Amino acid sequence: MNLTVPVGPLRSRPMLRLARLEATLMWRNRTALFGVVGLPAFFTVMLLVANGNGNTTSGIDAVLYTGTGDLAFFLLPAVFMNLVNVYTARREELTLKRLRSGPLSDAEVLGGSVLGAVLLYLAQAAVIVVIIATALGGGLPRDPVLMLVAMVLGAAVFALLAMALSGVTRTVELAQLTVMPLLLLSMLASGFMFPMDELPDAVRYAAAAVPLTPVVEIVRTAYLGRDFTGTGDHGNVGVLEAWTTCGPALLTLVAWVALGVWLARRYFRWEPRHG
Amino acid sequence: MDPTDKVIDVVGLHQRYGDFEAVRGLTFAVREGELFALLGTNGAGKTTAMETIEGFRPAASGTVRVLGRDPHRERTAVRPATGVMLQEGGLFPDLTVAETVDLWRDLVPDARPRAEVLERVALADKADVRARQLSGGQKRRLDLALAIVGRPRVLFLDEPTTGMDPEARRATWRTVRDLVADGTTVLLTTHYLEEAERLADRLAIMHRGAVEVAGTVAEVLAGHGDRISFQVPPQVPVAELPRPLGAEPRVAVGGGAPVATYTLTGQGGQGVQGALRHLLDWADDRRLHLAGLQARSASLEDVFLRVAGHPPVEEDHR
Repeated sequence: MNLTVPVGPLRSRPMLRLARLEATLMWRNRTALFGVVGLPAFFTVMLLVANGNGNTTSGIDAVLYTGTGDLAFFLLPAVFMNLVNVYTARREELTLKRLRSGPLSDAEVLGGSVLGAVLLYLAQAAVIVVIIATALGGGLPRDPVLMLVAMVLGAAVFALLAMALSGVTRTVELAQLTVMPLLLLSMLASGFMFPMDELPDAVRYAAAAVPLTPVVEIVRTAYLGRDFTGTGDHGNVGVLEAWTTCGPALLTLVAWVALGVWLARRYFRWEPRHG
Repeated sequence: MDPTDKVIDVVGLHQRYGDFEAVRGLTFAVREGELFALLGTNGAGKTTAMETIEGFRPAASGTVRVLGRDPHRERTAVRPATGVMLQEGGLFPDLTVAETVDLWRDLVPDARPRAEVLERVALADKADVRARQLSGGQKRRLDLALAIVGRPRVLFLDEPTTGMDPEARRATWRTVRDLVADGTTVLLTTHYLEEAERLADRLAIMHRGAVEVAGTVAEVLAGHGDRISFQVPPQVPVAELPRPLGAEPRVAVGGGAPVATYTLTGQGGQGVQGALRHLLDWADDRRLHLAGLQARSASLEDVFLRVAGHPPVEEDHR
């Protein structure tokens, strides 16, 4: 059954309660915990290990480049992969339906899990900010508001994509496979670790359409105060200027939110298939 | 029936899955404070009807009202007053019984205390056990606990005692009876006829998506007559069985000897007595022994067999 309209009210109290539930359940499910916390932890440790190796990427320290990319990339494990697992598991064990039988609106039932995932993502990002500011000597974000806007929009995109993908993922085991295409695409083509600057135009245009790409561009630009958007020259940008520089990337994100809403409405399922 | 008295009102409900029309013109109403049982074989449309009334999906056609409102379109208004026990599942396997109840206590308004809830469903000693470790019957009882945490005015129970042993089933019946005594309106589906006979103020037997028979147990049984049966003695040809008060024998071959059953309708209370006298005289005259002789009033099962063509229990779950 698809999402139905209207989805109802969004109250913070029950959603926070469900977010707490997600934390408890994740802590008790070591497989899920490993995927959602282990992968980011690995990337975090890599930053510290590679720190000071002298390599540069796109004109800045390579580790700082990756670190600012991690701030966006952690959307994949903490929000996207996490929520595909959560929604698939909850649907198959019928707890989604059970929660939906109670007084919560559909939006609250789904939003509670999203809230839990987003809080986890923000906590992971906060660790990276501390590492960038201390160990990597990269300072604090120059434009934290713009950075946070991109992170929250990115979280919305990947939460919606997770809802849609969970609808075509029959079991939790299969979720390991169904998340792969978008995970690999995000790792290779978003510029979070490997810059797109030197690639042919056609590839760069295609890469700009990958949903993680605009998040990476905006977060890096907002953090460093230098233009790291697709066409950027890595020169310094002021606070207001950064918003206009990131305009196209912000529009891409908004387009992804709209597409995500459509996909989630189309593919998300509250209940297992019959038969 | 006073229309304002109808807590649940279903009129001409149709519901389909693709080409299959699961519910075809279902009509019934449940009054405040009564327990209404929906009976039927699997595939009769009980669960589809139930889930529509619970508000999980809109009616394809017809109207459904719970507490005077559309349970799907206005479900944020209806849900706080209802409690739902689904046919299966819906427990978080990694939460303990106590944690599961506490979760629901935090989600519903005006929750009952945890101890009271666990006491009512006899799970107090399982508070620290994770849901995945509960037996099937214990899981059903925990599910019932969740349905009643919010002190619902209307309680939906979809096959609440499936998978329970007889003792747990009786305990659950007591719980449900207590809730009805407290004024809760209950809509229950079951394929255990005894459950309906014990609990229901009124019931309806569904077949192929619509109500075939409805009323109080006495009303449903009325007109279905009393029964006399015995094993046909080996030396008696079936064609020579007597016809007491004009009743025709129906002969069924069960486990061993053929059994003759007479259905006596229309003679009031006199039927069984007169027919028995006639049969016993006939047997005495021929020095026959009528093994397994019984006389009884019609049971829900008899009515069910008439309606559905086969017995309600013993089907496997889908």
